[in-house]
Amino acid sequence: MEPRRNFLAAAWEGLGELVRGFATTFIHLFRRPITEAYPEYHRPLPERSRARIILTRDPDGDERCVACYLCSGVCPVSCISMQSSQREDGRRFASWFRINFARCIYCGLCEEACPTLAIQLTPHFETCQYDILTLVAEKEDLLVDHGGKNRDYNFYRHAGVTAVGGKGEHLQEAKPVNRRSNLP
Amino acid sequence: MPTLRIDQREISVPQGTKVIEAAEKLGIMIPRFCYHPALGSLGACRMCAVKFMEGPVKGVEMSCMVEAADGMVVSTTDPEAMEFRRYVIEWLMLNHPHDCPICDAGGQCLLQDETVSGGHGLRRYQGLKRTFEDQYLGEFVQHEMNRCIHCWRCRRFYQEFAGYFDYGAMQIGNRMYFGRFAPGPLESPFAGNIIDLCPTGVLTDKPSRYKGRRWDLQRGPSLCLHCSLGCNLVGSARYREMIRVEARFHGAVNGYFICDRGRYGFAYANHPDRPRQARVGEEAAPLDQALKTAAQRLGQIRERYGPGAVAAWGSTRSSLETLGMLQWLCQDQGWRGPQFFPQASLARRVKAAVARLDTGMAVSLRDLENADFIVVAGADPVQEAPMLALALRQAARRGATVAVIDPRPVFLPLEYEHLPVSPGDIDLCLNLLSQAARSEEAATGKLEPDAARFYGLLTSTNLEDPLLQERLLALGRKLQDCLRPVIVCNTDMVRETTPARAADQARLLQADKGQAGLFYLLPGPNAYGAALLAGREEVDLLAAMEQGGVKALVVVENDPLGSCPDQERLLRALDNLELLVGLDYLPSATAARSQIFLPTTTVFEKEFSHFINQEGRLQQAVPLHQGGTPIIQVGQGSHPPRTFLDAIPGGEPRPGAGILADLAAALSGEPAPPTAGDLWDYLSGEHEGFSQLASLTASALGEGVHLLPAEAQEPAWSPEPGEKPPEPPAGQLELLLVDQTFGTEELGSYAAPLQKVEEEPHLLLHTDLAADLGLAPGEQVALLLPGGEVTVRLQTAQNMAPGVAIMPRHRRLHWQKTGDGPVWLPPENIKKLSEPL
Ligand code: SF4
Ligand code: SF4
Ligand code: SF4
Ligand code: SF4
Ligand code: FES
Repeated sequence: MEPRRNFLAAAWEGLGELVRGFATTFIHLFRRPITEAYPEYHRPLPERSRARIILTRDPDGDERCVACYLCSGVCPVSCISMQSSQREDGRRFASWFRINFARCIYCGLCEEACPTLAIQLTPHFETCQYDILTLVAEKEDLLVDHGGKNRDYNFYRHAGVTAVGGKGEHLQEAKPVNRRSNLP
Repeated sequence: MPTLRIDQREISVPQGTKVIEAAEKLGIMIPRFCYHPALGSLGACRMCAVKFMEGPVKGVEMSCMVEAADGMVVSTTDPEAMEFRRYVIEWLMLNHPHDCPICDAGGQCLLQDETVSGGHGLRRYQGLKRTFEDQYLGEFVQHEMNRCIHCWRCRRFYQEFAGYFDYGAMQIGNRMYFGRFAPGPLESPFAGNIIDLCPTGVLTDKPSRYKGRRWDLQRGPSLCLHCSLGCNLVGSARYREMIRVEARFHGAVNGYFICDRGRYGFAYANHPDRPRQARVGEEAAPLDQALKTAAQRLGQIRERYGPGAVAAWGSTRSSLETLGMLQWLCQDQGWRGPQFFPQASLARRVKAAVARLDTGMAVSLRDLENADFIVVAGADPVQEAPMLALALRQAARRGATVAVIDPRPVFLPLEYEHLPVSPGDIDLCLNLLSQAARSEEAATGKLEPDAARFYGLLTSTNLEDPLLQERLLALGRKLQDCLRPVIVCNTDMVRETTPARAADQARLLQADKGQAGLFYLLPGPNAYGAALLAGREEVDLLAAMEQGGVKALVVVENDPLGSCPDQERLLRALDNLELLVGLDYLPSATAARSQIFLPTTTVFEKEFSHFINQEGRLQQAVPLHQGGTPIIQVGQGSHPPRTFLDAIPGGEPRPGAGILADLAAALSGEPAPPTAGDLWDYLSGEHEGFSQLASLTASALGEGVHLLPAEAQEPAWSPEPGEKPPEPPAGQLELLLVDQTFGTEELGSYAAPLQKVEEEPHLLLHTDLAADLGLAPGEQVALLLPGGEVTVRLQTAQNMAPGVAIMPRHRRLHWQKTGDGPVWLPPENIKKLSEPL
């Protein structure tokens, strides 16, 4: 059994804590405030902070997204949906692309999965709306006219399909095999 | 039975089993590309390397090339074997392009899977990658040759398995090219299978190109409804749209493959004009309300004219549930019918065929592959039931003789003997064949008395053409030595006696050889079930309607305006009606004409359904999705509308059986109709052919259930086998309405991908006959039929019966002017219209 504590000693100790607390508060009254007055002041966020999503363009100015469904496949809350189609010039693209920001948890997995660097998260986090339907972004709301964090990568230059560039004209490609000749 | 150990587990396998197959039996999937159970081993890809620790073979070897032997100890996880496989996959990936994101195989790609499982993560090769030009291969197969890993599966299927030669391998070594000599559509109606077979994305599905990734699809086991064989499928739907169909393995039916009609016919379910809303008169109405109105009006007609004034007309493409419910409804309400076939003569032929099948006689497609002599009577397999042709080819590859007795210029992808005789002579040919198959002295010697009596009744009239006669007798002599003969017989354009004669001959062969098979083709995926339900009495709705006895007609998943060969009579009969109620999922002429229309679901939607194929096998189709108008149609190509709804747009259609049950309830005022479970009991009481249904367990449905009786219902032998079926009057032609692989089959003719490949319809005449008539191929001719004129382009052929004119029941041809039964035609009825184009 624990020895009974002295009642007076305990009360004294409590009072001491109380005074120390009030003292700290009191001191802060005379400090310079460090609160940033959001929304009057927007604090610059690091480039890699994760918020509102964009669809970027390749250096040639064409849509990067090839509607491969990898981002929608990896999204843990299934908030990306799209329909892939073939454009007249043979390029694979999304005929529609929708992100439901009401559901997005800004985890960034979509960006990590994207093989074309099309989908990117931006620091822009102010997405709150009164009407939930306005949080459903369509492709025209997502598509920007720059390359986001990477201005150089062009998936189609590497992929080696004829939609962009002819056979053998992409990076690291040999000229097409001549089927009709047996010469080495 | 060699016994071996694979990864510390012992297994005994039949002699000749490859180690890769033995491992599979243990559930160990050794990586592979070129090996395929249907195509066998090749040893081309080197991916299936395993280490043989003990036994006759030692070291790292290809498991697909080594036969299992006693005492073998095999390790699939030995470091040496794993390292070997890691190098192999890296070599195979050297030239592979960097394009998985835009490749439709991505997500269902063996190469992806094995690259990952083989441990090859980063490309070390920095040299130039080999490239190839691609080819246009038709409307079904997309070619992207850069992705090829030279496994040879496509070529081996296309040429060896399926017997077409316009696609193959060219060049040598690393430059090996798989394609056609020149770009162009693939000629084989089985070409779609090379998409399933290609382990990477060289050959991908064109109609479903870019429509979705495998992981997003709603997939499930389904059935093909595009002919009576009942091939097994896996269906895929996404965003309420049917996307794709692939072959599903069934050992006894289709094996690993399906035909292109089955692969691309499903698109009728997405038809932009598909009626998805109930309708009363011109007004769209909620389904329940339309149903009530229908019940009310049917009730009124019944009250005014008696129950016989209402009739029901179903079809062979409905599920067994719907057919059964329709039968029940007719019995319950005292309605006339149901009739299930477009014409009475066809119903008689199908019933005759179905009544002659029993467990001793019926053979499956797989059994057929093991036959050593096959007679095909009155059938053109590639055009009518394509997978039959593939089975015939496998039989021929194993050495079987295939003889086709058919008036058409039949083409089969195998070596076969074609006897182009007119339909009236098919019976005679069968008789002659079985006579020739027995040597004189043995003729009746060892036969049991019944068979001997029947044999004695066979007359020996000769064929008119001595050459054909000679060839037939030669075939008969060959048949003498065969042990497992099968007779294949169609029920379409043959004489009414032929299905029975085919059964007689098969029985005779069985009596003689102890083993023989009978294989019918029937019109429609559930024709077997319909024939059992149709029972013995004959319903002729057309006649009853014409006489005015029928005032209301309920048409269930059926389009008489498209399928009834006597359009004129049908239109007259329909005019006599006060009420036409239509239930369907196709935008058919009959659906459009119905005063009250109730939309039904396809086999892919909402509820389980069952179909019985031509060998009496009950099979189940599982619904893939809930139906509704595809999002691509609702959004018109763009994103789905930004609105909230509490119901699926266009999701009103319900299974035909359910609508009929509600109709019955509304009519009788009590919920009496059999529910899904009781329906089987009801059916088993209805016909002894269904007796197994009562004791069916759901689990029995994976492989299907043979509903065949142990004893056929019909007497084994026809009383007068020598009797000659009707012949056209001298100098007249017989018009044959026939099927084509693409363009004639009802469901498929609503499928956009198939519409792109269907052949132009044409009238086919023998070259000599056309010359006699002063007609040249390519000319437009007018064909004068009993019901009016048909304009069609002429084609000629040498290898067909001389006295016939052949016309497809093509969707773009108004062929429905012939009337029921054989059509005789004076040659003057074919008139030249224009010069050849
Ligand atoms: S950030 Fe995460 S939750 Fe948001 S869309 Fe991307 S994957 Fe989905
Ligand atoms: S992962 Fe990238 S390329 Fe693929 S669909 Fe998403 S945004 Fe488009
Ligand atoms: S095209 Fe496909 S199936 Fe044919 S050899 Fe190449 S990888 Fe194999
Ligand atoms: S053979 Fe008949 S059942 Fe089989 S896939 Fe072709 S159309 Fe369908
Ligand atoms: S599967 Fe054995 S070598 Fe290809």
